[in-house]
Amino acid sequence: MSDFDPGRRRFLGHLGLAGLGALGASSFLTACASSASGPAAGNGSGAVTIQSNLSSPQAKAAMEKLIANFNAQGKGTASLNTIASETFRTQLPTYLTSANPPDLYTWYAGSVANDYASRNLLLDVSDVWKSLGDYPQSLRTLSTDASGKQIFVPMNNYWWGFFYRKSNFAKWGVQEPKTWTDFLALCETLKSKGVPPIGIGLGDTPWVASAWFDYLNIRINGAQFHRELLAGKQRFDDPKVKAVFTRWREVLPYFDPKGKAYPFQEATTALLAGKTGMFLIGTFFADAAPKDALGDLDFFRFPIIDPAVPLAEEAPTDGFFASAKTANPTGTRALLTYLASTEAQEAYVKASSGIVLPANPKAKASDSPLVVKGKAMLDEAKELTQFFNRDSSDALQPTADTALTKFIDKPDRIDAILREWQAGAEKVFKG
Amino acid sequence: MNKLRTGAFHTGMILLSLLWLGPVLWVVVMSTRSFDDIAAHGVGSLPRSFTLDTYRQAWTDGGELRALINSMVVTVPSVLLSLGLAAMAAFALSRFRIPGRRTILLLMLAGNLLPPQILLIPVAKFSELTGLYDTLWALIAVQVGFGLGFYTFVLHGFMRDLPGEIQEAATIDGAGTAQIFTKVMLPLTRPALAALGALSFTWIFNDLLWAITVLRTDDNMPVTPALLGLQGQFVSSWNVIAAGTVIAAVPTVAVFLRFQRHFVSGLALGAVK
Repeated sequence: MSDFDPGRRRFLGHLGLAGLGALGASSFLTACASSASGPAAGNGSGAVTIQSNLSSPQAKAAMEKLIANFNAQGKGTASLNTIASETFRTQLPTYLTSANPPDLYTWYAGSVANDYASRNLLLDVSDVWKSLGDYPQSLRTLSTDASGKQIFVPMNNYWWGFFYRKSNFAKWGVQEPKTWTDFLALCETLKSKGVPPIGIGLGDTPWVASAWFDYLNIRINGAQFHRELLAGKQRFDDPKVKAVFTRWREVLPYFDPKGKAYPFQEATTALLAGKTGMFLIGTFFADAAPKDALGDLDFFRFPIIDPAVPLAEEAPTDGFFASAKTANPTGTRALLTYLASTEAQEAYVKASSGIVLPANPKAKASDSPLVVKGKAMLDEAKELTQFFNRDSSDALQPTADTALTKFIDKPDRIDAILREWQAGAEKVFKG
Repeated sequence: MNKLRTGAFHTGMILLSLLWLGPVLWVVVMSTRSFDDIAAHGVGSLPRSFTLDTYRQAWTDGGELRALINSMVVTVPSVLLSLGLAAMAAFALSRFRIPGRRTILLLMLAGNLLPPQILLIPVAKFSELTGLYDTLWALIAVQVGFGLGFYTFVLHGFMRDLPGEIQEAATIDGAGTAQIFTKVMLPLTRPALAALGALSFTWIFNDLLWAITVLRTDDNMPVTPALLGLQGQFVSSWNVIAAGTVIAAVPTVAVFLRFQRHFVSGLALGAVK
């Protein structure tokens, strides 16, 4: 997933990228700095510090509870440090490369973590994985870096889908679609009733459009092609990519025209007020819904386009990785083992209001009908993808934002847009 | 005719001030709405609920008290230290024939023209080298360092225009350099110092960039990054953030009101001679 805010990103975000760039140049500084280990750490020799970006009140409270539980167990001590998520995003490279880094970090699995691992910044946590034998292979693969060692411990994941209000669908007399044809028919029905069928929120949050690209691509070309494309092994001006946009054009007239102006949070408000019919979004959007509307929410999976393509779903995975420079690798691994345990994951799911699925297969998810349905959908999928920026990089995301926003404005210019996207992506891949 | 003009003037001015006050009022109104109200009707709609619980949430859950203390711990010494050092530097540069004083002054000014963003990485690395990283000392040092150039430049301009005869008279009366500085120059520079004090207080208090560059522990964060911390990863309680913003604005407004008189006279000083 990606909580982008291009305005602020441009201001602060490039700092983070610049930080990575400056890494090589300043490595001698780092080397000096490590000898001058300062009193900056502030933590005792034993305490493991977790740098957390879970700054929303419920998630923060849930993390505090977990850490308190861990400390009560007496296997070590840990202290939680919650940083505003936007600050965390820009500062993470600085944290990791500092001389005296925090031990453990909340972050995303996949290529983002692997990228840090390839710079030797992450702790090898293969030991922790030895006790995670019952975790599914997909999560193990996701947490393994290029050299074959595990560097990530997943905590939970969530899903994306077309969310709608049950009461509104009943009022309009429509059903969940299964196939692309059903979906088009549904859009047509809603439009004839005067409701913009598909809600979207691209103002301030243009990355939401990437969900459409991801889903159409994994439905038409499959997850394998999607990953290769995002890793720079395929081209964006490939006819296969153009096919994605040909499909997209079929539903473009059904998009809420106001969606370009407001962020997804307001698109949520519009959906709940019945001003749009449905909304392709991740489960995190429910945090922006008033409590009394939650029971009325339901979703359906992105419709199947080509039944021959193996079923894949987006399931962004959140979890932890540790700094390679941690002063207390044993304590860090002990904490990671605790965080991966059934007990900790169930406690987190219970305390955080978000609709998330625990990574530990033995941990019980919340038994609300929505969560049960989401879990079943992911279990049924042959492959899981993360999200555009998690499967590629934060640097590639802006190229997608530009291309997709342009496409929604001027779908006729798709050939030129894809050529520009390819050029932009090449620049990113060359670094 | 005259009445009409006065009327038009007042209407125009009221509208203009509303334009300024509008966003502030909007934030205050938003801070008294409930989360469900905002979630159901959007941030721009008229309020349908009233609660002051948001202030409690910002104060306790958001840790505003701790953040405000941190802010004051950073801001007060930074303002005093940077103004004190700047006043000394300005005194020396404007009153004594120091070789290369013009170059020094221009260098200080040039430092201010540099966008701070390009210095973020060096500052972070340097604060680590000195062992100050993640302490409030680092933030104080950075704020003093970055403010110094501009304050010196302004105070230099002000002190240069003070009549030299005053200094000569004090010298004849047997005052040493230190005495001239503390007993003669500083009192005369008071309007400029007060104006700069109010300005620098606002700047340092409202700073976000340096705080998140040299700090990484949430207990150390001053109020602006703490406000940012009220934002969730995807969804933010805008009412609580608005309440936190209102609370965070109180100290700067108080300082401004306290120094308002100096501020205005400081601006006008030197205009009429």
